[in-house]
Amino acid sequence: MKDVIRKEHILNHSIDTVWNAITKQEQISNWFIKADFKAEPGYKYTFTAPEEQNCTQIMGEVKKANPYTLIYTWIVAETNIETVVKWELEKTEEGTRLSLEHSGISNYSGENAIKMFNSFNEGWNNCISGLSEYLKQDVHAR
Amino acid sequence: MQDKITKILKAIADPTRREIFHALVVAATALPITHVSGQFNISRQGITKHLKTLEDAGLIKIKTKGRERFCYANTNPLKEVNQWLKFYEKFWDGALDNLSDYLDKNA
Repeated sequence: MKDVIRKEHILNHSIDTVWNAITKQEQISNWFIKADFKAEPGYKYTFTAPEEQNCTQIMGEVKKANPYTLIYTWIVAETNIETVVKWELEKTEEGTRLSLEHSGISNYSGENAIKMFNSFNEGWNNCISGLSEYLKQDVHAR
Repeated sequence: MQDKITKILKAIADPTRREIFHALVVAATALPITHVSGQFNISRQGITKHLKTLEDAGLIKIKTKGRERFCYANTNPLKEVNQWLKFYEKFWDGALDNLSDYLDKNA
């Protein structure tokens, strides 16, 4: 089973602007998920998805936070399964190349997958549909 | 959908059931249940229980021919599990789109 998800995005913004967006608590809370977060190794962060969407908590520890690499563990509440999220930024001519890596996904197989699946069903489904609703509205508003 | 995937995941969570399923996939043909139970050091009753769980999950099919019951593997349901695991793919796609949107508006 595939164990790593890799995503790449080119952003037309300076590397420091992007770095702040992924490491500053207020900014993470704005575009991603309500965050109690500090980009300091050892910091135990908590992400909380919106209450009205009945979303779940994600917890973990910051492992590395040197510009421009950010690594933290990612544990969905009640699963006890540790996966790892790694953000890497690189300066390009157009702006910034963002590489995201989420590894350890196969740890969710077997019994753990059932737990993960249950928490996913209660929360993440809503999160995703909430996100796409938001994006739809946003598109219509323009 | 949810029940179906939960059943599949429960079925493959047990190492013995994974071995039975694997043996049937490798065999690539219908095997008599007596043959299957002969391969594993478990009672006929135990095997029947495992096969029932696998059958409920849609991972195997059981057919009766004469006096003998045959079972064979069906790997199609695993595709659904795989699709579910793709959840995170979509999740990150959405998050990164959101990030780029946010930066365009605020930076």
